[in-house]
Amino acid sequence: MQSDTLPRPNAFRAIGQTIVLNTVVNRLDAWARNRDWAKVGTRAWARNIRLGWAWDQDGFATNVFAHPYHGSLYFNTGRASGLSFLESAPIAMFGSWSWEYFCETERPSLNDFLLSSFGGVTLGEMFHRIGETIRDNTATGLHRTFRELAAMPFDPMGGLNRLFRGKWKRLGINPAEHDPKAYVLRVGVGGRFARRLVNDSMARMGTFVGDLSYGDAFAGKYRTPFDVFSIRLIVNSQGGLNALNGSGRLYGRALSDSLSHIRHQFAVNQRYDYVNNPAQSFGGVSVEAGIDSRWRLGARRDGFGIRTALFGDGIILGAIDAPGTGTGLRDYDFGPGAGVRWEAGLDRHGARFFTLLGRVAYIHTASGGAADHLVNVSTLELAIPVTHRVGIAVQTSIFDRESHYTNRPPDKRDYPEGRFMLVWTKGASTP
Amino acid sequence: MKHALALMTLVLLCPRPALPQHLPTPERHRRGLWGEFGFGPGYVRIACSGCTDVVGTTGGTSYLRIGGVISRNVVIGFELFSLLDNAFGFTPQDSAGATAETGTAAIIILWYPGRHGLYFKGGVGAAFGQFSIPADSGSGGTVVADTSTGGGMGLTFGVGWDIAISRKFALTANAASFVTALGDVVTGNRHVDDVIASMYNISIGLTIR
Repeated sequence: MQSDTLPRPNAFRAIGQTIVLNTVVNRLDAWARNRDWAKVGTRAWARNIRLGWAWDQDGFATNVFAHPYHGSLYFNTGRASGLSFLESAPIAMFGSWSWEYFCETERPSLNDFLLSSFGGVTLGEMFHRIGETIRDNTATGLHRTFRELAAMPFDPMGGLNRLFRGKWKRLGINPAEHDPKAYVLRVGVGGRFARRLVNDSMARMGTFVGDLSYGDAFAGKYRTPFDVFSIRLIVNSQGGLNALNGSGRLYGRALSDSLSHIRHQFAVNQRYDYVNNPAQSFGGVSVEAGIDSRWRLGARRDGFGIRTALFGDGIILGAIDAPGTGTGLRDYDFGPGAGVRWEAGLDRHGARFFTLLGRVAYIHTASGGAADHLVNVSTLELAIPVTHRVGIAVQTSIFDRESHYTNRPPDKRDYPEGRFMLVWTKGASTP
Repeated sequence: MKHALALMTLVLLCPRPALPQHLPTPERHRRGLWGEFGFGPGYVRIACSGCTDVVGTTGGTSYLRIGGVISRNVVIGFELFSLLDNAFGFTPQDSAGATAETGTAAIIILWYPGRHGLYFKGGVGAAFGQFSIPADSGSGGTVVADTSTGGGMGLTFGVGWDIAISRKFALTANAASFVTALGDVVTGNRHVDDVIASMYNISIGLTIR
């Protein structure tokens, strides 16, 4: 087996690819899409440097989903060039900063920089690892090509780098990220029932939910950032992408013996949240620290267990809908904040059968209406196995928010929803 | 040409001093609990949503850092940074006696790429700002000031160099930028939306490491 399927570290290549990426996207916007904001030149650059940061008025999906995804491309030019997680993070920041100052005629947007940088790092590392898991340097033929193509939507920069360097067909060893040792993939399709989505009547629609748990916090020692992460995607038949939430372990330290019945671990996680539907828009980037615990039930190490989590959250930049109060065309606020997350559930091999989850987040507006927002999300999820891999899942949640403005009455709303789905679960674990 | 080839051959064949097999372990830049404080001149640029231009001026800056060590080349810390401008206020039209104080409280990472004292800094945290502008005289001839405070988020990036003066102490030179997003600021009858203060400073500090 050859080992040259793995890239050698090259920071200059990553920086160069970031500049090329920005230039190509900017020229496509300017020449093919005729966007005025993309028609930059030395005059726009000088103005941007002179005036500095501002907040922009783009839509919620553009700012809180598209920009972090764009940031993940910058980050993955670093990963595709052999750089580590920590070495690739500044590449995401450089890509975002250079785009804001040199690729738009509008003033550099602070919210874009923060969401593209921190959201880009979070999504980028997850997508990089998902891509490496899908790709297989030991595979051959059509199977190999199919895997390379399947990884492209997650990690296009990694895929293109491999294509141009002739690695789509070359045999070799796989990187460590290819095999997370433990994982659980669960996908479900079914119906979604939501009240107050548009009005007080019950809205019914189709829904798809995908959950991936990569690695297991209790399967081994902490190795590298994001060696354990979880990501959830929700797509509805009405409105399309509804939610994308991800959390990756930046650092972990065991607080108890690995053979103990009750195990605790201190962890620091980097989070990305995006929830967007007609009733609520909430998202942002944050870092949380707290304790993960697993309470083994019975004598078997690979048997059932109860998992709990208690985390405190520092929200670097949050975004929340605030109709009629945002800045200009924008109908949502930006601001930093703090929060708490708690969770309890029953699992086996990392696959959850029952989960209770609560999250409280406070956001103080730094751009938009002068306000303080309090968000409370409570979730109950149940998965009942029918066969080895197929089961039925019931998920309910209540999103409750309270906003206090300095110059208008408070806004209190709640929004309940339920999902009833057929789920398919696949996983592997190392006890 | 012959002379050049002969010279190259001589250089290639010339015995070179052997490299040491075991390089001395580099000294850690900072150990255990470390602290640092310093001051220097700064420049602040204040912008807001809907503003067609920005205003800027100079002021004095000071900072305090305390932290621990993650690895040989990376340290983590908490930084308090403040810039006080006492001749400028909030806009150039504000009279003398106006003050604007902006600052950040951030978690910072210092990365030392090599054995020397050069480091790069990045951090994120909370920001605060207080703007005080003399207004009409109050009763008894006292000067009343319109004061407004704002809070939000702060970012910082920078570069610095630790110059060791002993095993325990170092002089530290810094150049840094700070972005503080403060939200709306209201002074008197003025309402300014989404204020962002960008600060740049150079400073010299004393590090206990």
